Amino acid sequence: MSRPGFVLDVDERTPPLLMHSGESFRLQEFPLGSRIIYPPESLPGVPDVDEEIENALLHPIDSEPLPDLLRPGMRLTIAFDDLSLPLPPMRKPDIRQRIIEHVLEHAARAGVDDVQLIAANALHRRMTADELKAIVGERVFRSFYPDNLVNFDAEDRANLTHLGKTDKDEDVEISKRAAESDLLVYVNVNLVAMDGGWKSTAIGLASYNSLRHHHNSHTMTHSRSFMDPKMSQLHSSAWRMGRVLNEHVKVFQIETSLNNDAFPSQYGFLTKREWEWSLRDQATFLGAKRGIDLMPAKARRKLFQSMQAPYAVTGISAGAVEPVHDQTLQRVHRQQLVEVDGQSDVLVLGLPYLCPYNVNSVMNPILAACLGLGYFFNMYVGHPIVRKGGAVILNHPVPWEFSTLHHPSYVDFFEEVLSVSTDPKVIEQKFEQQYATDPWYVHLYRTSYAYHGVHPFYMWYWCAHALDHVGDVIWVGGDRRAVARMGMRSASTFADALEMASDTVGRSPSITYLHSPPHALAHVK
Amino acid sequence: MSSLVKDVRQVARGWRWSHRPLPPKSAEPHHLFPAPREFPTDWARSRPARAAREAILRGGLGPIVRRETTLRVEGHDVFDALDGPVIFVANHSSHIDTALLLTTLPTEWQRRVAVGAAADYFFDAWWRAVGSALVFSTFPIERSGVGLSDTPTRLLAEGWSLIMYPEGTRSPDGWARRFRLGAAYLAAHAKVPVVPVALVGSYAAMPRGRGWPKPGRPEVHVRYGRPVRQGDDEDTRAFGARISTAVATLLDEDRSDWYSATRRAAVGATPSPSGPAVADWRRVWASTASPVSRRSRPRAWR
Repeated sequence: MSRPGFVLDVDERTPPLLMHSGESFRLQEFPLGSRIIYPPESLPGVPDVDEEIENALLHPIDSEPLPDLLRPGMRLTIAFDDLSLPLPPMRKPDIRQRIIEHVLEHAARAGVDDVQLIAANALHRRMTADELKAIVGERVFRSFYPDNLVNFDAEDRANLTHLGKTDKDEDVEISKRAAESDLLVYVNVNLVAMDGGWKSTAIGLASYNSLRHHHNSHTMTHSRSFMDPKMSQLHSSAWRMGRVLNEHVKVFQIETSLNNDAFPSQYGFLTKREWEWSLRDQATFLGAKRGIDLMPAKARRKLFQSMQAPYAVTGISAGAVEPVHDQTLQRVHRQQLVEVDGQSDVLVLGLPYLCPYNVNSVMNPILAACLGLGYFFNMYVGHPIVRKGGAVILNHPVPWEFSTLHHPSYVDFFEEVLSVSTDPKVIEQKFEQQYATDPWYVHLYRTSYAYHGVHPFYMWYWCAHALDHVGDVIWVGGDRRAVARMGMRSASTFADALEMASDTVGRSPSITYLHSPPHALAHVK
Repeated sequence: MSSLVKDVRQVARGWRWSHRPLPPKSAEPHHLFPAPREFPTDWARSRPARAAREAILRGGLGPIVRRETTLRVEGHDVFDALDGPVIFVANHSSHIDTALLLTTLPTEWQRRVAVGAAADYFFDAWWRAVGSALVFSTFPIERSGVGLSDTPTRLLAEGWSLIMYPEGTRSPDGWARRFRLGAAYLAAHAKVPVVPVALVGSYAAMPRGRGWPKPGRPEVHVRYGRPVRQGDDEDTRAFGARISTAVATLLDEDRSDWYSATRRAAVGATPSPSGPAVADWRRVWASTASPVSRRSRPRAWR
C-alpha cells in the first residue's frame, strides 16, 4: 500500500533532509516549524504491461479500436515523445518501445506498408541513432531507421503544413507527414501534469511559426500553473491548435503514466523519507556522497547521466486526445498530488542534475534557472507555494558551463542577451526574432545536435511567471558570476540565503521545502 | 577527510545513533512503525551478570542508598510464607524506587528478580539499556502496547520474580496514579501472587529531574504487604482493583497504623492514593515533605 504525500512540520526529531544540488546532494537542516512537502510513495505498476497496452488499443476512449482504423494502403504515422521524457531516462524496455511494437503488430496484421515514425522533438535537438534506439527498441530501429524513423525537423519548410489558424489567430503549422496521414498515432510518456494532451501533437510536431503563439513571455506569465492545464494559457493555446489539427487528421492518442520510482534501488535513500533511512541507507548516502565529491567532474557527470529509472507504468489510456488526457491527469494526480495548507514566505528547492534539455549533456545556468523557476516553481495547482513577493531559495552550483554541441545559442544568449536585460518581455521584443531566424543556429539545429536558436528564450520565458511572482531569488552554492548575470543573488550556505532573504520576507519567515524529485504536485489552498 | 567526518557527525546526530530513532511528530500518522525488536536482556540474568549485579548491589548501590537516605523497611515477614515467584507491585514516583526495592529484598529474592522498565526510556539508547539491565536486571516493556513481549511470562515460568510499576511511569507530583491492569493480567495468567509494596518519601527524596537524593538523608519507607491472589471467580479487573487497594492500604498504614488502616480498608474507607483534589502546587507541596517517622518507640505501658 503506497502512502500518500504529506506536509511535514520540522521538529526536534526531524533529521537533516536530503537536498539535491546539481551533480551532488547533501543533508540540509531546516529551522523548526519549516514545512516539507513529501510526494506520495510510488504507486504499484500495472501487473501486465502488455495486457494493459492491448486493452487500451482494443478498447479506446471515444474512438474505434486501433485495428478498425488500420487498412492496407493507408499512411500511418507514429509520433512519440523525445528524450526529454521521462527523467531520468527509463530503464529498458522503454514504455514507448512496448507500445510502438504493439501498434506495429496491428499495422502489420492489417497490411499497412506506409509507416513512418517521428520523434516529436519540436525545437529540441535531434536525437542520435543510439538515443532513438534506446526509446523505440532494437526491432523497431532496425526495421525503420533511418528512412522511416526520423527526428522531426521544424525548419524543413518543404515538410511542414500550415493547417490554418485558431479562433485566436494562432498559426497551426505542423509536420506535413503527420498532417497528411490517414492516422496519426501519438505515443506519450506522462511524467508530470504538464505533459500530454494536445501538447504532444500540437507542440511536439510544430514549427516556430506555431510555437511562438504560446511560447512567449505573456502566455508563460499567465500560465498558473503549467501543471494545471485548465489554468495554463500555454495549454489553452495548444488545445485550440489541437482542435484545428483534429479537423484535418485522425489522432489516436496513447498516454502512459509512471509511478515515482525515479532512482535505481542502489540509490534507494533518494526516494525514502529521511527518518526511515536504515543504517544501510545512511551508510550508502555517506559513501555515495563521498565518492561523488571525490570524483573527477567528467566521471561524475557520466555516473549521473547513466542513471536509469526503474519506473513502473501506472496506467495506459488510448483514444481521443482530450478524454484520454483527462484519465492520465487523474493518474498523475494520484501519484503526485499533495494537499498543502496555505502559501509560505520562502520556497526552498533542491535542483537535481537533470532537466528535460540536458539529457546526456550539461546543465548550463539557463537550464538550471528554467528547472528551478520554470518547472519546480510551477509544481502547484491552486496557488503558488510561495506568496506573491516571497523568496525562492534554489540549491544548485550553477556552473558557468555550456555544451557548444547541444546549446550553442545558449552561449550567445547568456553573453549577449542576459547582459543587456533579464526581463523576459524586453528580451523577447529585442532579440527573439534574431535568434529564431539566425541561419547558423538553424543549420546547427538541422544538421548537428543543437537545440534551436530560439530555445534559450523559451527557457527564460518558462521562468517568467516565477520572476513576476517572487521578490527574491537566491542560489545556494551557485557560481556568483553566473547567478549575477541572470540578475539573481548567490549565497554560500542556506543560513546565509535566509539571512539575505530577510530583506524581502523578514527575519522569521515561513519556509516550505518541496522535497523533490520524485515529483510532488502541491495543491495549495 | 574533514568533510567526511562532518557528514558522519551530521548523520550520527540527525539519526540519533546513540538512541532509538523517532519519526518527526507530524510524520507519525504516515509512519510505518517497524515491529519493535526487543532489546535482548537474557544475558543480564546469566550467572556472571548475576554475580556482578550482586556485587554492585551489595558493595555499591545498597551502601549508597543507606548512606544517602534514612531507610525504613517494614513487612519483611511476608517473605517467610512466600515461595516465589511473585510479582512485586509498587507505587512509583522516583528513579530511586527500584534501588530501594532491590536493596531491601532478602538476598535470595534479590538474586532472582527482574524489573519491568519502559522500553522507550530505559532501552532508548544502547548504553542505557546495557547499564540498567546489568545493574537493575531490567527487561523492556512497551508502554505503547505495541508488540507485547512474552518475556515477563517466560521469566515467571523460569522462576524469576518481577518488579512492576502499574502506573506506567513516575508520578509527576508524588501521588499515585491509576494502576493499569498489566500486572494483574500477568499474575492471573501465570497464576502467581502479587506482593503489594508501598514506597513512601521517595518523591521527596529524589523527585523527577534529580539524579541523586537530596542532601540531608531524607526519610524513605519501604513497606511490603501480604500477597494478593486472584480469587477463583474473580475477573482480572476486580483483581487489579484489589491490588491497587492493597497498595493504597499500605500507604495508609504508613501514614497511620496497621489496625486503623485495616479497619478503614474493611469498610472501603481507605484514603485514595491519588491524593486530594486540590491545586497542583499543593499536591506537589505535600509530596515534597518527607514522611514523619515515629522515631521514639511507643510506650507499651502508660
